[in-house]
Amino acid sequence: MSKSRISNNIRKLRFFHDEMTQQQLAEKVGVTRQTIIAMEQEKYSPSLELAFRIAHIFGVPLEEVFSYDFEDETNQYSNKEQIK
Amino acid sequence: MSFQQKNVTVSLVTFLLILGFYLVRVFQIIQDGNFNSTNVFRLWGFVIAFAIVGTIVVTIFTHIFSAITQAIKTGEEDPDIEDIEDERDRLIDLRGTKVTYFVSSIGGFLSMLTFVLGQPPLVMFTLLIFFGVLAQIVGDISRLYLYRRGF
Repeated sequence: MSKSRISNNIRKLRFFHDEMTQQQLAEKVGVTRQTIIAMEQEKYSPSLELAFRIAHIFGVPLEEVFSYDFEDETNQYSNKEQIK
Repeated sequence: MSFQQKNVTVSLVTFLLILGFYLVRVFQIIQDGNFNSTNVFRLWGFVIAFAIVGTIVVTIFTHIFSAITQAIKTGEEDPDIEDIEDERDRLIDLRGTKVTYFVSSIGGFLSMLTFVLGQPPLVMFTLLIFFGVLAQIVGDISRLYLYRRGF
């Protein structure tokens, strides 16, 4: 399975917030621990609402938690243009 | 394993048992030469009733069993069971439902094809319930696969 273009710093942010456990974060944002694990492994991209809730828990803006890899997308589009 | 995963596993086992029972009964009916509408529709009714009641009962038992295991693990009298359904669970469920509908549509088509090709209507009805249960099993397998993969 290809990894999502959305990457995140959840693991790092948990570590810097008193080594918060996955279970604690899951309880605070109202999801299961398995969902936090899937997000950290970048297998699951959360909804916008959940992303905002996670950023709020860490007290940082959304861009500090999640980032989108535009490079791949740009390469893909430029390759398509070249083919045309 | 999360509570939702346990639920899907239990549903899968239940429907596998139903399918096993159904196939054994159908072959028995055919071998005994009693392949008539009364026997086939009685079996239909039994399978549908068992699928509905069985799923409810098994879900309740899964909940009770989870509470007991959690109480033994933590030593608490009133343990918290993580039985919430979050957005990932809902998406996995939707994907599983999509697979179920796809398989049951193909099954429905194949069942009707047997009728078009000159088989008696009882064959079509027998196959319809077979594909219905099979679709549920394939849907549960796809849900479990998504849970194991992460999403």
